Amino acid sequence: MNYKACVCNLCGTGCGQFLKTNGKAVLGVSPSIGHPVSKGKLCIRGWHVNELLNTNDRITTPMIRSNGKLRPASYDEAIDWVIERMRDFSGPSGEIGVLASARSSNEDNFALTRLARDIFKTDVLGVGAEAGHHNSMAALTHAFGYPGAIGTLTAIDKADYILVVGTDITRQNPVIGGNIHAAQMRGARVVTICSARTQIAKLSTKHYQQKPGTKGLLLNALAKALYAVRTMNHDRQANLDAIPGYADYIAALRSISSVALENASGIRYEEIEEEARYLNMAKSVVIVFSTGISGLDKQTTEIIANLALLTDKMDHEHSALIPVAGISNLQGTYDMGMTGKPGKSVFRSLADARSPLKALFVVDHDDGIIRNRDRIENLDFVVYCGAFKNPFMDLADVILPLTSFNQTDGTYTASDRRVQLTRQNTENLSNSLPGWNLYQLMAEKAGQYWGYCDAAHVFTDIAKRVPSYADLTHDRLGRGYGLHWDPKGFPTAGKKKFHAVRIEYPKPKTSEEFPFALMVGKAQHFWHQNNLMRKTLIPRREYDQTLLLYPQGYVEICPDDAKKLKVKDKWTVQVTCSAGTTMKIAVKVCPDMQPGTAYIPYFIKNMISDFLIKYDDAFSAGEESVIPVRIEEA
Amino acid sequence: MSKYFATSQEIKQLAEELCKSHEIYGPQVDQQSGQVFFDVLSDLDALDLDAAIPSMPVKEILFPQMERILQYRYDDATQNVTMEKAYAEKPKVLFGLRPCDLAGIQCLDRFFLGQEYVDDVYLAHRRQSILITNTCTRPWDQCFCVCTHTGPAADEGYDLDLTKIADGYLVQVGSEKGQAIADQRGWTPAEARQLKEKDAVVDRSVEAFPALAKDNKAWISRAMNRITTGFVKHEIWEYIGNQCVECGACSFVCPTCSCFNIEDAKMCDGECERLRTRDSCSFEGYTRMAGDHNPRQPVEDRRNKRFFCKLSFSQSKKYLRPGCVGCGRCQWVCPGDIGLPNVVQYLRRETTA
Ligand code: SF4
Ligand code: SF4
Ligand code: SF4
Repeated sequence: MNYKACVCNLCGTGCGQFLKTNGKAVLGVSPSIGHPVSKGKLCIRGWHVNELLNTNDRITTPMIRSNGKLRPASYDEAIDWVIERMRDFSGPSGEIGVLASARSSNEDNFALTRLARDIFKTDVLGVGAEAGHHNSMAALTHAFGYPGAIGTLTAIDKADYILVVGTDITRQNPVIGGNIHAAQMRGARVVTICSARTQIAKLSTKHYQQKPGTKGLLLNALAKALYAVRTMNHDRQANLDAIPGYADYIAALRSISSVALENASGIRYEEIEEEARYLNMAKSVVIVFSTGISGLDKQTTEIIANLALLTDKMDHEHSALIPVAGISNLQGTYDMGMTGKPGKSVFRSLADARSPLKALFVVDHDDGIIRNRDRIENLDFVVYCGAFKNPFMDLADVILPLTSFNQTDGTYTASDRRVQLTRQNTENLSNSLPGWNLYQLMAEKAGQYWGYCDAAHVFTDIAKRVPSYADLTHDRLGRGYGLHWDPKGFPTAGKKKFHAVRIEYPKPKTSEEFPFALMVGKAQHFWHQNNLMRKTLIPRREYDQTLLLYPQGYVEICPDDAKKLKVKDKWTVQVTCSAGTTMKIAVKVCPDMQPGTAYIPYFIKNMISDFLIKYDDAFSAGEESVIPVRIEEA
Repeated sequence: MSKYFATSQEIKQLAEELCKSHEIYGPQVDQQSGQVFFDVLSDLDALDLDAAIPSMPVKEILFPQMERILQYRYDDATQNVTMEKAYAEKPKVLFGLRPCDLAGIQCLDRFFLGQEYVDDVYLAHRRQSILITNTCTRPWDQCFCVCTHTGPAADEGYDLDLTKIADGYLVQVGSEKGQAIADQRGWTPAEARQLKEKDAVVDRSVEAFPALAKDNKAWISRAMNRITTGFVKHEIWEYIGNQCVECGACSFVCPTCSCFNIEDAKMCDGECERLRTRDSCSFEGYTRMAGDHNPRQPVEDRRNKRFFCKLSFSQSKKYLRPGCVGCGRCQWVCPGDIGLPNVVQYLRRETTA
């Protein structure tokens, strides 16, 4: 039979699929009916992964740049050259940076951390989506004692109450969105807190459309109301009092003023009180929020963690708190240590003109748009390793091909800590190396012998060094639909603590001069700025069709605002931000927007490179970032 | 047409014989997951005629998800184009088709071969195919072929049709091709008692629907009527459209969906290939026409397109049968809650309220 079980590599849901392959090429896709999370569903990306895996845009041979031109080389020669050049730079003084991929397997990332630490001797590391994920992990560790999801995604199918904070989940993780919708249909109460009327908002039992930037305030108000309901019913849990930070947290919540809440967020406290009664009645609660590149800011994730603790329902088997990742192995990449130390990221080194960075080692970069391009161009030495062609190749001095995820064995850790194994199911016709083996050969060239014979062997090393993976092996993972890593690997697991929260009533940053609150985020077919999606046929057409309609991108505003501005759909407008930068862009009139708000999907090149450059925090604040702008007819 | 009795052993021998001259496809179970696929049989022992309805439609064999149909090269110097077709005709036998999947093939035949234009690629796959159906002695969770009149037994369009009865199979011949195969087998002609036995098997299967086919209680004929007469409120379409995440799954798994897309892709050294991939009316780019006009831009309009296609009378007239053959697969794979049987329910709830 030609159908081989596999795990979708295109987001952090980790859906089960089968690839139809004749051994040499992938011909088709089938969903996996028995998979406990995806249950026979896939999104448009998962359904078209065969197109991606069939692309002719693969990197097939190592290349070395000499006299400005890339020429084919052998792995041997290329590896030699990399190791020789890297000797010129000092890792400990911050001259070498490693930019890893949250799509690589655990085995690859584990080996890459070894390469970075033991050979390059650098801790200037990072993956594209790290900032947001560090926040989520820190917030969860403080509150629940370990950096990972509390509970699992399958809890959605049984929970009484589901809270979706922010995230446009039916676009970003459609299969999780579908499961939440199914839960709503069976009678669970689904509540969405989001300033735009997203699809999941429409499908929810209740949607709170708060003013931009006030998600955290609203969640704190919900906590206050929950506390009040409990006090009134005399069902205050004594053990909650014992959790460190409780008294301060409650004191902060008590200080919330209903009037100020309503002024800032546009939501009345009475509504929240009613919501709290539902929340209190529920036996099990699932909270999902997005983590990673378009995730939430630090404060909001802490507020979510506190609320989860306060419900006192998180130990129920159908409860969960899930930081949902847009990229397949973001959690695993963090677990392997590849995301580096907070505050010391390769992005920071790239952005800081005075950093000592001289050499950069990059793996499988997903973005079609490269940030800090000028800086990278001026580095002394750039290595790019990847399965698919990418604009980064133009900047690289050495290029090394890697296998794609179906051409080698590897494990991937989904958003809810489910570690799943994909086995090689297609021949590796161009004889590319899997990441772990490439890094091992580099280490060997530098004089260190690791001795891994296959990915399963690398995994035994992971199990030895990463305590939460201790009882996992490829053999065990290969028998079903993977296993969740064990929080007990962290000695602090189960030690609960409240975060200290400050109650703030965000004033609208908008003014008469800049009356629109601009939000920046994803659009339907622009996942990961699309280096991968651009290599498919159908999803790419969907992307292109938006580009055809809106060649310079678009800004979404509501019909009323469009009328006020006297503009129509597809008309060009000038957007000016308070920092002074401007851009010309088409209008997309969209009834799902609130008056006074505007939304731009951030795939548009000149927006990232010119318009937003002054707003670096727009990237780190993710979903909650708000930029005051003026919109005029152009 | 003739009817025979064959033992299980003889059915196995039939497969062995056919596989000498044909590529043989049939239902088989993935050991680890238990999922059923109708795929090429590398080992005849894997053929499992008792397996549940295959998870993916059999159209994969005749109209695959992605197919290279042409390869060409442009020579700069001579300004010459050389082309060759990239698909080949191979005799195939589809052994153990479920009746709904046979009906699906009949719809595809009508679309690809039955109208003014004949699709060469489909024809190449289809021309030398032998279709052997297998009566469903019981329905599975999601089946509703009794409502679409496509099962649990096939009534036409097959070459050979098998029904499991007490000590073997009743074999019915449905075409000259089938007769030619039967003539070589030396099976015993069926007795009246065995024909009756088949009727009883089918009756039992139909009776088992309420208890076993519990996912979907479709209500197809009334829904057809409502859709054909336009008696469905816009709000209902909107309610349905809001649930669509635009994944395309419903089209990909539907045995009768025939839409496709053609793209040329560059390979290395100036060579190009033409790919045909399945497409879906749920995608915005699919319905967009030249000059920025999209007749079905809101998602709810695209969604109701699908249900018109499956259920309206005018469409049925074109395909000589309803566009839904009752396999229930779209219900399995839809991340929304709008597989066809569910939509029928929504229409019914609204229109009877
Ligand atoms: S939801 Fe994510 S994991 Fe599932 S099919 Fe889509 S991209 Fe793949
Ligand atoms: S519409 Fe759905 S149930 Fe009907 S034939 Fe197609 S996939 Fe099967
Ligand atoms: S399977 Fe469901 S969600 Fe996907 S395109 Fe079809 S109707 Fe929409």
